[in-house]
Amino acid sequence: MEIQSNDERAFRQVYEQVFPILMRVVYHVTNNQDLAEEICQEAFIRFFDKGMEFATLNDAKYWLIRVSKNLAINQVKRKSREMNMVEKLKKYPTTGANHSDGSQVLMEKETRKLVQEAIDQLPEKFRLVIVMKEYTDMDYKQIAQVLHISESNVKVRVYRARKMLESILSQE
Amino acid sequence: MCVDDELLNTYLDGELQEPWRTQVQEHLGYCNACRQRLEQLRALHQKIADAVLPDSEIDARQDRVLQYFEKTRFSPSNKNKKMHIFRKKIQVRLVPALITSAAAFVVVFIGAFVFFGNNSQQGQEILPGVASQIDSAHIRQVTEVQQPSLDMFSLEQIVQHLDAMGYAVKLEVKAVTPLE
Repeated sequence: MEIQSNDERAFRQVYEQVFPILMRVVYHVTNNQDLAEEICQEAFIRFFDKGMEFATLNDAKYWLIRVSKNLAINQVKRKSREMNMVEKLKKYPTTGANHSDGSQVLMEKETRKLVQEAIDQLPEKFRLVIVMKEYTDMDYKQIAQVLHISESNVKVRVYRARKMLESILSQE
Repeated sequence: MCVDDELLNTYLDGELQEPWRTQVQEHLGYCNACRQRLEQLRALHQKIADAVLPDSEIDARQDRVLQYFEKTRFSPSNKNKKMHIFRKKIQVRLVPALITSAAAFVVVFIGAFVFFGNNSQQGQEILPGVASQIDSAHIRQVTEVQQPSLDMFSLEQIVQHLDAMGYAVKLEVKAVTPLE
């Protein structure tokens, strides 16, 4: 099924399926939901405005992930630093109070936060691969296609990223 | 010899090809250490995967961005589509109406000739341009007809004129009683 990116119907179909994947990839790479939303919107604007043709929905998905991944990397250094600072300042007064409440939800939130902070510490090339492996349904071959690297390279990066994460998480 | 972490990770992801896959499976069948390591890696994978951004955090953002596209990208074509349907309906409704009124006009036009065709004066009233004879009875001086009358001037002009002539004019509207 061919996909014309500026056709409203085709766009809606791609958007519905790909937006959550894109949002997850960008969020876990940037650790900033607002920035992730902005980047996803920008990626879809480019997708629509360029009026491209894709042979399959997967091709459109790979294109969108590639574009948003590049946007994320380019902007993360500039914007995320400022916005994270603001978010940290906002959250600071409530953090102490939350620790006294040991509910399951908060424990899960805390674990999620720790994992995400560990991912943040990974070098970019490992971060991208592990995020795509853990938070999308893509296999090694598909990740390799998106990142234009070999499948064996994906395999090695997944292994090394997990090794680093294991080490970071065991310290906490 | 035991299975290394790289191979175990690939096995865990279901990406290990044959014959290595079967070999690893066989090894795991009798090696406790490797089985334990695989479970550790599985738990780590699960812990990372559980940190996924939940749908509840995505839904509102997905709707908001879609609204942006509905406002900035989709709306012009939608309006055109609606306009198109609207025009189509008008066209469909108007065509029979136009045919009917055109037919009615033709009937009235021909009917006028049939009924008043012999009476030259009435015919002249209906069709002033097709007078058959040109003689003194049919020609009249048009300029004489246009006698100046008060209708040719606006109320303002009349009042101004009377004012210039030195009259004090007071205007009142009929049947309107001023409030006490």
